Amino acid sequence: MADLTTRIGDLEMRSPVMLASGTVGYGPEYDGIIELGAVGAIVTKTITVAPRAGNAPPRLAETPSGLLNAIGLENVGLTRYLSEKLPEAARLPVPIVASVAGTSPAEFATLSATLGGREEISAIELNISCPNVERPRNPVWADPGAVSAVVMAAREATGKTLLLKLSPNTSDILSVAEAAERAGADALTVANTLPGMRIDLGRMRPALGNTTGGLSGRALLPVNLALVWRVAGNVSIPVVGSGGVSDTSDALEYLAAGAAAVQVGTALFASPEAPVAVADGLKAYMEVNNVDSIDKLVGAAREERRVWAEKV
Amino acid sequence: MSATAYLFTLEAGPELPEPRPGQFVNVAVPADLTLRRPFSVAGARTPGSFDLLVEVRGRGTRALADMPVGAVVDVLGPLGNEFSEPSADGTSLLVAGGIGVAGLRLFAEELRGADRPVHAFVGARSADLLLHHTLPSPTDDGRMAVDVATDDGSEGFHGTVTRLLERALEGSEAPGRIYCCGPPAMIASAARVAEAAGIRCEALLEEMMACGVGACRGCVVPTRSGYRSVCADGPVFDTSELLLEELVGG
Repeated sequence: MADLTTRIGDLEMRSPVMLASGTVGYGPEYDGIIELGAVGAIVTKTITVAPRAGNAPPRLAETPSGLLNAIGLENVGLTRYLSEKLPEAARLPVPIVASVAGTSPAEFATLSATLGGREEISAIELNISCPNVERPRNPVWADPGAVSAVVMAAREATGKTLLLKLSPNTSDILSVAEAAERAGADALTVANTLPGMRIDLGRMRPALGNTTGGLSGRALLPVNLALVWRVAGNVSIPVVGSGGVSDTSDALEYLAAGAAAVQVGTALFASPEAPVAVADGLKAYMEVNNVDSIDKLVGAAREERRVWAEKV
Repeated sequence: MSATAYLFTLEAGPELPEPRPGQFVNVAVPADLTLRRPFSVAGARTPGSFDLLVEVRGRGTRALADMPVGAVVDVLGPLGNEFSEPSADGTSLLVAGGIGVAGLRLFAEELRGADRPVHAFVGARSADLLLHHTLPSPTDDGRMAVDVATDDGSEGFHGTVTRLLERALEGSEAPGRIYCCGPPAMIASAARVAEAAGIRCEALLEEMMACGVGACRGCVVPTRSGYRSVCADGPVFDTSELLLEELVGG
């Protein structure tokens, strides 16, 4: 019997298929559209201390096999999240991972302490990698020291499982990943969107109100898959693969590269049924190949695991 | 239906919630595209089925138009809010530019079904793009009236549809509400006409969308209460709530 149960720190999930931050709102928006009970966890829209209006529209632009977005972390802020959004989300049959972003380690600590203190929230994902709000030079996500300070501040503030969402937009993701592990992160989400832009030739101006946005969707899969491979080979905490997962084989590739779980995001927009289909597909794959637990798929394509791979 | 517009009837079966005027569906188009395409429900004459009136603009709409009769499409909806009830007295003024007729056609059908008076103003760049003929037919008693305008004067009034509306309102005694759908500049113009006439105006807005259910915050428009999403807070907005200069410029 194939067991999809997946653990990331103390976060226990029915399946390794999570819903990525920014694509499911706070959760209730997709209630009744996605069978949330079959999903591992939902990661909320990123919450900041103060409410954020977000970027000027247009905020979306389609690209070949992908999507650019420049939402700009629009969210209701911590206070309204707790009073208006969390009570409704807590009724959903799925664990909630709160995505948070601060402008300083102290803000990350505030968010982690407050949200981590709520029993309705199972884990915290630290978002240091949104490409639409960062300063253009020397971004936090590429600076191991700055990332370390954020993780340490959050670590001191909460005992809840802490995921750190890395950016693919750095030449040295390993130094950042290792700094995060040393600072106390329980897991790494690899990775956020890549910066990109399009030009609206009809209006002869950038297609996005923010000029640039983050590239997600299928186009991102090979990029983030390579990063998962590298990061998973160099840290001992779990890695969560994110970027372009649309179907079961995409998820299997991430798992085989070393991810302990995956996040589905942009694929939800075309196929709200995608995350459940991926979970069902993983189960079917495991049954056909006599794999009884999901752990046995993790890193299956890596040298050190090929002995297992040859057996199935 | 016109040089660029197609009318589709989709059979959804009895599980389809009754679409309300103003609501839309998010359609998975048969092309290698990342997003669904949102379309207004443009008619629902029998329970379980509904119409879409689609202008071919790009790859998604082209792929839809090329589908054979009987093909199956994956549709999410009906989604979004609806037009408000018309005032008890007065004629509902429906103002459409181009493919904007799609957003008002179900409303026109429903109002006529209830024998409420309707005056539709339909504009297009030129006669071959006019879609007024997809609306309920004008009646002899004037309770369904249709006037057309073209930018190039090839049919009907030579000028904008909102100028036509403005002229009709001069000397009108009991105007009801304005309900409009079309390009942002037309909506801004209709809103100004409504304000000058002291009547309410609702606009059905169109934006590129991703989720269609209020989750991703991708389809926002500027309003007096901040950015609001077209998919979940709209697509129908009272024009007095909208920041029209930003909407047109943005």
